[in-house]
Amino acid sequence: MRFHLPSALRQWAGGNEIIEMPLAPDVRLAIGEAFMMLGHHYPGIRQRVLDEQNNIRRHVNVFVNGENVRFLEGGATLVTHDSEVWIYPALSGG
Amino acid sequence: MENTERITPHAGDVILIVGTVKGAFIFHGDRDRRQFRIAGPYFKGQAIFSTAYLPARSGPRILVSNKSEHWGAVVSWSDDFGARWHEPADGNLKFPAASGLSLNSVWALEAAPLIGADVVLAGADPAALFRSDDRGESFRPVNSLLNHPERPYWVPGFGGLCLHTILPDPHDPRRIIVGISAAGVYRSDDGGESWTRRNKGVRIDAGPPHAPHFGPQCAHKMRYDAKNPARIYLQNHPGVYRSDDGGDSWIDIAKGLPSEFGFPLVAHPSRADTAYLIPLASDQFRVPLDGSTKVWRTRDAGASWEPLSNGLPQRDAYFSVLRDAFAADSLDPAGLYFGTRGGQLFASADEGESWRSIADWLPAVLCVKAVAVA
Repeated sequence: MRFHLPSALRQWAGGNEIIEMPLAPDVRLAIGEAFMMLGHHYPGIRQRVLDEQNNIRRHVNVFVNGENVRFLEGGATLVTHDSEVWIYPALSGG
Repeated sequence: MENTERITPHAGDVILIVGTVKGAFIFHGDRDRRQFRIAGPYFKGQAIFSTAYLPARSGPRILVSNKSEHWGAVVSWSDDFGARWHEPADGNLKFPAASGLSLNSVWALEAAPLIGADVVLAGADPAALFRSDDRGESFRPVNSLLNHPERPYWVPGFGGLCLHTILPDPHDPRRIIVGISAAGVYRSDDGGESWTRRNKGVRIDAGPPHAPHFGPQCAHKMRYDAKNPARIYLQNHPGVYRSDDGGDSWIDIAKGLPSEFGFPLVAHPSRADTAYLIPLASDQFRVPLDGSTKVWRTRDAGASWEPLSNGLPQRDAYFSVLRDAFAADSLDPAGLYFGTRGGQLFASADEGESWRSIADWLPAVLCVKAVAVA
């Protein structure tokens, strides 16, 4: 699966816009768990997408294959080896 | 005013670490405090809730708590007056999983050298105390307060349920006082093993009168007297108080003030019985009375108060001054500084007798820390 990072998070991934995390073809896991796995190599990404209760932060939007997980199953939304995950800062005012 | 990317203060210079809703700035002046240079903004777009300065043996360090509305809050540090900032990849203030709580922001950073040379205490929203033993790089929660049996009765104020004030006792390393909105004053006498509320004598306006020492208390800011560590001044949500027994009891010292409502409170850094307030019109209208800005000073521990306004705007000034946006340096005469939610930064080099603006167009100011560099 691939994670597409916003510019603000690339400093925590060696400057890369896209990071790949290999998964076996038969594995299905929750996007929240995927971020926790990603945190083994990229703790700065996990820290800024999930809070310490492993909830996706309120003003962060995560899209899996084009769908905002907020309107799917949230952190329980399932991903697979070929999922494309996009992370965006929410359009929050102020 | 010159804008520079690099601050290189000499001994005796003054730096002001200013946290705003959109980043941090460092102001640098010499001992005369007539001219200040500004550096920053640092952490562009992030809210800087609190700062601390650690003049430790291994070199000075500036700590800030920076909060991104998107990516969360963290405590960052600089060992070269802002030239470089360090932020741990994995964060450094985290609530335990069992608490079910998540960090919103860090409202207080306080060095506690009597507890340990490298100890820093941090106050969080939701209300909790954290301790660092490595100069603010990593923290652990103080579980005794996190799991306090009265916690279910604490209620959030407009700013959240925040632990905003930390007073490590200047002589007793086992005594720590904290202020929580809205829970009031709590004190530990055993190094943080246990905590007891210390609100006796503090009026309560937002709860039943039969429970005057409990319920929705709301301390806004506390400071120790410069000479008497048993004496503490308190700007409360309703009222202004003084304790002469380390917080065991409080007496009303608001008589003579134009309003008992306000947020910040500063004690003179070296003179006994001397403290400063910036009263606001009311709880409902949190601006200077009649649009006229005045700092009020007591030199007799609250028996009487006098206004100081020379150089401050005396008409059409309708800004707030938040609880951490007022500070004193440690020089003689003492310098006083406060920032406003309108983005002004005012300074006095003569203990409040005269004031001038040293910045007019900052983002809303959340906190000011004044340091005389050793």
